[in-house]
Amino acid sequence: MSTLSELAIAVEGGKRNDAKLFTQALLDQGLKPLAIVEQGLVPGMASIGEKFKNNEVFVPEMLIAARAMKECMLILEPLLAAAGIKPKYTAVIGTVQGDLHDIGKNLVAMMLKGANFGIVDLGTNVAPEKFVAAAQEHSAQLICLSALLTTTMPAMKLTVRAVRAAGLTSAKIMVGGAPVTQEYCDEIGADGYSQDAASAVDLALELAATC
Amino acid sequence: MQRSYYLGLAEVGLRMPIGTHLILHEAADPAAIELDGQRLGDVIVRTAGRFNTPLAVPLMDLKLEKEAMLAARGIAGGQIDSYHFDELPAEAPAFRLTPRMLATCEAIRHVAKHPDLVPMGMGIGPFSLMTKLISDPITPVFLAGTGLTADEEPEVALIERVMELGTELLLEYFSAQIDAGAKAMIICEPAANLVYFSPNQLANGYDIFDRYVTAPMRRIKALFDARGVDLVFHDCGELTTGMVERFATLDAAMLSFGCSRQLWEDAALIPKSTVLYGNLPTKRFPASQLSVADVELLAREMLDKMRATGHPFILGSECDVLSVPGSEGEIMAKVEAFMKC
Repeated sequence: MSTLSELAIAVEGGKRNDAKLFTQALLDQGLKPLAIVEQGLVPGMASIGEKFKNNEVFVPEMLIAARAMKECMLILEPLLAAAGIKPKYTAVIGTVQGDLHDIGKNLVAMMLKGANFGIVDLGTNVAPEKFVAAAQEHSAQLICLSALLTTTMPAMKLTVRAVRAAGLTSAKIMVGGAPVTQEYCDEIGADGYSQDAASAVDLALELAATC
Repeated sequence: MQRSYYLGLAEVGLRMPIGTHLILHEAADPAAIELDGQRLGDVIVRTAGRFNTPLAVPLMDLKLEKEAMLAARGIAGGQIDSYHFDELPAEAPAFRLTPRMLATCEAIRHVAKHPDLVPMGMGIGPFSLMTKLISDPITPVFLAGTGLTADEEPEVALIERVMELGTELLLEYFSAQIDAGAKAMIICEPAANLVYFSPNQLANGYDIFDRYVTAPMRRIKALFDARGVDLVFHDCGELTTGMVERFATLDAAMLSFGCSRQLWEDAALIPKSTVLYGNLPTKRFPASQLSVADVELLAREMLDKMRATGHPFILGSECDVLSVPGSEGEIMAKVEAFMKC
């Protein structure tokens, strides 16, 4: 008998083959897909996220864990969709216009997915209007903006301005990236700043709950 | 150049930013200049003059090599930024210098006509180039660090193949810059850092770092040694002490690290024949939260602390100082502050 805690441990350790086997075994045992996500995958990602915050593990370990979770989700997502189950919150995420860096953005996306957010990943070099359109289309509670370069931070400001101008009052804007600070977040009128991917989950949950 | 030349610059208290981008963007048509070797050379000369340094530093544009590698495979300009290899690339077709690379070489040739300047070349390091060519380079580097080989794991095979092809391209491009007159080469390996290499793995040994960063750099250094060209090694990523110790073995004329390092602490790890350069937080210069007075204070503190180590040192920037639209004046004021204080 496979257990949810074994699945969580496999995800946390990035053991993708084990994680897939446990996922399938749990389904075969009759567990509901949503229970496997909420009680197996999410705790596994939450645990490694906590270790990441405490500098016990680093980006590579996070990516390996996220990859394991992603492969489990490939098994589970069709079943969740067939059952009409959707994530409670949706986040639109992307690296702002002019910036092609995606490691930080990908990490946040994976962590949010690990916390059972629906993710609309717009990729890199995303124009402000594209963020707005995606947020409108998917009725997103969150818009997450990433920038790695000082030269592209102004694009963050333009994106915040575009979101506000579009009247998307129900969507909160999160910002992050190496040169970004809480002061900059306040300056451009974003709703929240997170200094790392794991903390981004806490912030996202907090902001989404206010929408 | 004689190694004593750089030591002499440190001795007389040279300070300088990597500031070519700033000066380039004072022009009305920077993109056109980047393609015009003569004008680009003039910008480099003007930058050296503005900051009162004999070291003539080209633009630190680390996208040129990826562009060249993909152009050789017929991948068009618009696709280059987002293109990544997802399967083993075939044998490298003949590599040709791109227009931007030709302009860089021409600019070096132009600088070399100025006997008071040291013409420098510029390029990305093999590991960092690889990370630009693979959509997720971190995972396979980690897997390789667990002991998986290219035969066992296709993703490991992919990064190793891309790195091999990339290194061949770099050796050709660097040779072209040396042919054009570069007396020193600035090699940038910003991806050799804690994001790509897990400290947990490194705690068990630096084999993976040595294989993927140090060893390819030694191939490049061998070329420079054979051509009588100095290495200036730059890595503004977040580094461990073990990484710094390995860079110290490259016998660089200068080492330039980012703000993750306290240079006065690293001085003990670096041979006295290598000048330390840096590392004021210039990536924060566009932000108003860091004032001119803060920069002056940081500069004075760093000068004091480095003086106490007795290590050869040139005060400068943690990376190239980028011109940010709307913040040009603020950035230049801070550069001028550390140049004067």
